[in-house]
Amino acid sequence: MMELIPLIIWLIQDLLYIVVFPGLVTILVLAIVIIWLERKIAAKVQMRFGPLWVSKRIGGALQSVADLLRFSFQEFIVPEKSDRWAFIVAPGLMFAFSMISLIFIPVGPYYSYLFPSYYTILFSVGMIIITPIFAILVGWSSDNKFSFIGALREAFLLISYEVPFLLSVASMIVLYRTFNYVDAVAYQFRGLPGLVLNPLAALTLLIVMIRTTGRFPFDITEADSELVMGLFTEYSALFFGIGMATPYVELYAFSLIFSLLFLGGWWPAPLYAHGPIMGLIIPGIVVVVKAFIVMALLVFLRAVYPRYRLDQAIRSGWSYVLLLSVLSVLLSFGEVMLLR
Amino acid sequence: MSEVRKPRDPVTGHIKALAKGFKYLIEPNRMTLDYPAETMKLPPNYRGFFTVDDVKCIGCSMCEMVCPPEAITMVPRIVGSGGKTLPAESAPQDQKAAKRTKRPVVNWGKCIFCYFCVDVCPVDAFRPTGVHDVAFYTDREYRPTYEEYLNPPEDPYKSSKKVVSKADKKRGVSYEPAP
Repeated sequence: MMELIPLIIWLIQDLLYIVVFPGLVTILVLAIVIIWLERKIAAKVQMRFGPLWVSKRIGGALQSVADLLRFSFQEFIVPEKSDRWAFIVAPGLMFAFSMISLIFIPVGPYYSYLFPSYYTILFSVGMIIITPIFAILVGWSSDNKFSFIGALREAFLLISYEVPFLLSVASMIVLYRTFNYVDAVAYQFRGLPGLVLNPLAALTLLIVMIRTTGRFPFDITEADSELVMGLFTEYSALFFGIGMATPYVELYAFSLIFSLLFLGGWWPAPLYAHGPIMGLIIPGIVVVVKAFIVMALLVFLRAVYPRYRLDQAIRSGWSYVLLLSVLSVLLSFGEVMLLR
Repeated sequence: MSEVRKPRDPVTGHIKALAKGFKYLIEPNRMTLDYPAETMKLPPNYRGFFTVDDVKCIGCSMCEMVCPPEAITMVPRIVGSGGKTLPAESAPQDQKAAKRTKRPVVNWGKCIFCYFCVDVCPVDAFRPTGVHDVAFYTDREYRPTYEEYLNPPEDPYKSSKKVVSKADKKRGVSYEPAP
């Protein structure tokens, strides 16, 4: 019986990790806040009010909650000619894999005691890369031309932007000489943050983040003036909500990766600390705040940019962005040679 | 013909656009109204919902003929005491002397608010109510009976702040409280 107590404590800490940082509760709150912020920023820049009707006193901040409630009580309709199983399962898998990637992203030094793994960067990146495959499945199973065109566009963009993404992450792996986020953060504690060490990789990762999460210049897969809602045209009720929330979860995961690889991780907090408070809560808050700033920067782009055409996006993917990522790998090799 | 396009600068345009967006974010330059709380004070002849004067109307059907979307229908009525009309069904069967007439009813779902009926009316029986924006919840409410048509919908924004628009050199348009 006495041997079980540490195990139970361990389980509770695991649950705390999964549920609070960087897990479900934070995602839910951040998704609601960031959707509201996106609409508010776009409204401010475009000379409008933005959401204001629900909870007027705090600037319509509860609008997203109201939308979520509305989604929850709507009827879910499966189209007659759709591929029924894929139609129901694919959005869930898409959401799940973007969430699973969060498990491999540490938000504090305490993480390495909970899930000791040396290959966290690879795992998280691999899980995020899987999600567009389910996006294509969503488009295929809907039996709707808009969804299908959206899926084709997603496939084209997936191919042209995955290479720069992997190269930019690989350049940071080369630079830090590790596959582990905690060691990567430790490297940045010893010297400069990755943003200064390799700005090209940071720029590439930012562009790929915008592309993968469908933020504005690359809002091509769900271009609402051309393809009603893109992939999620046929969806209703909570499944539509999932489809709307998945890009934000991906955005959150990408922002966490960005802040760990380029912004020094939990920099002002101590590098190594024991216990859940100094080791998890405080570094977690620091990382999430950094990630939130990155997210706010990216949703701001909605207010500024028009949408790229598909061919423009693919061309820039295979030219500028690929060139940037190759240069970033070369820069990393050069720095490793010099610093050694 | 052989117009050479300059190679596009991939950096400067993006930075300019972001800087402009950031500038607007810091000093918001709002042009829209906080609609249900503030509404425009509209000029007196602005076309909106209109009703008919039961006593003045002579039932000539000119409005029905002129109505472009055929929104007006004439309903049968009988003339009661003091010029007011009563429903045609209320006339006693044997009483042949009951004077029959017609009155217009507007289908708000079809009406385009062109006011041709108001212009064509020989006795000026139509009367604008000053109510402009009303949404109906059911299809039935778009098609009032004659009794409902005599009492047109109420202004839902009576308590909202009335503003008037003003040309503004810096912002394009600005609003100030109505006098």
